[in-house]
Amino acid sequence: MDYVHLRRQAASLRKGLFDQGYLDEQFYQLEDLQDDASPNFVEEVVTLFFRDSARLMANIDQALDKCVKDFNKLDVYMQQLKGSCTSIGASRMKTDCSAFRECCRDENIEGCMRSFQKIKREHSVLRQKLESYFQLLRQAGPVECATRPNK
Amino acid sequence: MRVQEGINSMAGADQFPIGMRVLAVDDDPVCLKLLENLLLRCQYHVTTTNQAVEALKLLRENKDRFDLVISDVIMPDMDGFKLLELVGLEMDLPVIMLSGNGGTENVMKGITHGACDYLLKPVRLEELKNIWQHVVRRKFRHRERNTNLSTEDPEFDKLPNSNPSHAQGQHGQNSSSDNSGRYSKKRKDQNEPEEEDGEDNGYDNEEPDPSAQKKPRVVWSVELHRKFVAAVNQLGIDKAVPKRILELMNVEKLTRENVASHLQKYRLYLKRLSAVASQQASLAAAFGARDPSSYLRMGMFEGLQSYHPLASSSQIPSSLTSFQATGGPLLNRSNPATLGLPGLSPSLSNNSLSSNPLNELNKFQLVNLPGNSYHANLLHDQLPSELSFSNVTNNALLPQTSQDCMQPRQSAVAATSFHAKPITFENRCLTKAENQSLEIPSSSNDIFLGRDIKCQSSIFNEESKLLSFGGASQNNTKLQWRQDDLHESTLLLSSYLDSQLPNNSCNTMADPVTIAATGSGMVQGLNGGVFNQREGVATSGIIGSSISGLTAMTNHDSQLKQREEYNLGVQKVQGGYGSNGCSMDGLLNSVIKMERDDISYSDGDIGCDLYPLGACM
Repeated sequence: MDYVHLRRQAASLRKGLFDQGYLDEQFYQLEDLQDDASPNFVEEVVTLFFRDSARLMANIDQALDKCVKDFNKLDVYMQQLKGSCTSIGASRMKTDCSAFRECCRDENIEGCMRSFQKIKREHSVLRQKLESYFQLLRQAGPVECATRPNK
Repeated sequence: MRVQEGINSMAGADQFPIGMRVLAVDDDPVCLKLLENLLLRCQYHVTTTNQAVEALKLLRENKDRFDLVISDVIMPDMDGFKLLELVGLEMDLPVIMLSGNGGTENVMKGITHGACDYLLKPVRLEELKNIWQHVVRRKFRHRERNTNLSTEDPEFDKLPNSNPSHAQGQHGQNSSSDNSGRYSKKRKDQNEPEEEDGEDNGYDNEEPDPSAQKKPRVVWSVELHRKFVAAVNQLGIDKAVPKRILELMNVEKLTRENVASHLQKYRLYLKRLSAVASQQASLAAAFGARDPSSYLRMGMFEGLQSYHPLASSSQIPSSLTSFQATGGPLLNRSNPATLGLPGLSPSLSNNSLSSNPLNELNKFQLVNLPGNSYHANLLHDQLPSELSFSNVTNNALLPQTSQDCMQPRQSAVAATSFHAKPITFENRCLTKAENQSLEIPSSSNDIFLGRDIKCQSSIFNEESKLLSFGGASQNNTKLQWRQDDLHESTLLLSSYLDSQLPNNSCNTMADPVTIAATGSGMVQGLNGGVFNQREGVATSGIIGSSISGLTAMTNHDSQLKQREEYNLGVQKVQGGYGSNGCSMDGLLNSVIKMERDDISYSDGDIGCDLYPLGACM
């Protein structure tokens, strides 16, 4: 059936995300929490993440644009963003957030900007991939929810 | 994955920890959602909010609504540590901190602020499965305390007698603790093992089977408290031992244990006052230090009334301490009334509500009003206890206090009777202002001053009424007092004043309050309405109103600010109390709320409440 194919696709997409370091073990936790009571938990959380992170990133953008070099503020924003990334297991983004915070500590505005660009890219890529993944899952039918990788 | 079921002896037959009610606070929606689901997976009952302010509101609305609080450290509207402190003080609930930052410093900070546990994000299910232990631990501790209360008290009592230096040291320890509520708990814990040895001896003498029998709760009425404070003052706060106090008080059916636990609370209260006092010092200085005593007075009465050994005791002590600090002299002055107050504080703190709300209020609002703020702070922290103390402590003191009122702070405390508190307070403040060139709105001052004088006398007269009032509703007041929210006391006071003042002069007194209140918009609620709401409430109402009144009066500028701040919380109070309008509402609200919450504390011995308050130790 096509469902099988779709599911396989979804699984491989998912595996790819883990293999490429976009996601880490925390994502398993999310998946574990998904059950009959909350069948779309993972997708809900991820959606929430992207919405909230977009907001945070807009704030950071604004702060950087102002060129006021308020590193403390930037650091606070980034800490929040990092917290969110950690919660869903967005591993690469988390690393980039740490790098950004380092630049803040060093008061390296250039570094901050570069780092932030990277974060934005990662963010966008992750979003795309996860959206595809969930779409596949939906298409593949409710039979199979997110499954643990057979690692 | 599921938490093991049922189980706990503490919980009894229910399926604890299943269904344990958790309040989760985190500004990050992703984390919050994750946390919520994890907690649900543990079969807990979860309530979430992304605002600390909202969380506090929920907690205050119903103290028994939650078993445990989990909170993020970094939040935009309030520092997580601050929330932690407040929850610990006011509600004595275990609080677990969550943070992405697991640095030693942060963890240490969490612990010193009273967190039961410190978890790192991302939180794991396994960790959450075990958080129920904190609830159990706390309950155990409370129960132990309750059970040992009789045993401990005799010990407590004995220690001073048998080993004065030791006792002193202990007391000293207690008072020196910067975290009075917690410290007292700690000290108690420390004492317990020590006391246990001699426990049997003392115990047998005092009560054959203390743990087995449930001692009837002693209601510390204004009258009783006044006697207590008088006795304490006579002996000297450092040398006041339960046995001697009991002798001096000469009250039938009062046991040494009762006195001992009351004394403990009182000390905490004092400590808290001094802490508050120090906070308020600057503010007071600006205003010329209105009478802290007046605050005390207000609080005292209430404290007495609701002298439950509420868990919130820890709260009060801190407020008391601060109060003391500010008033500095207030408490330490010769004014016996002030001494009396501290005692109240403990009880107030027990209520836990008073101190917290007050403190909170103080922080937020008092800044601007030099005189008011001071008062306000005082009120906040101390009102419940302080006021009651002042009034209650000493009938004899009263006369003194009225005189004192004129003097900086101290007098204020003692002089006013329950009724008077709010009024006196105000009046005093005004008086002081005048004397000390405080910046008090002259017009209002005049009014108050005049009344003040009248009031004072009438206050005393009224005191008996108050006392009876307190007596009658002791139970209620107690509860209220527990709330330790100034609001409550204020409300109570106002309502009481309103309803009770038969004396014309009293009415006059009420007027100032009204006036003040009007200025601040508070008074309205006080009259009548408050009174009926909760026995205790009446008191708080008064206090609250007085506080607000004062605030309003003393400093127009600051008033605005204060009022604004008060108004934050005021709205709520208003509902309950009628038109409080003023910033006091916030106070009142908290007070009132606290009262409700505190009610649960009423059973059991007086002494037991002290312990729960402390942070998760």
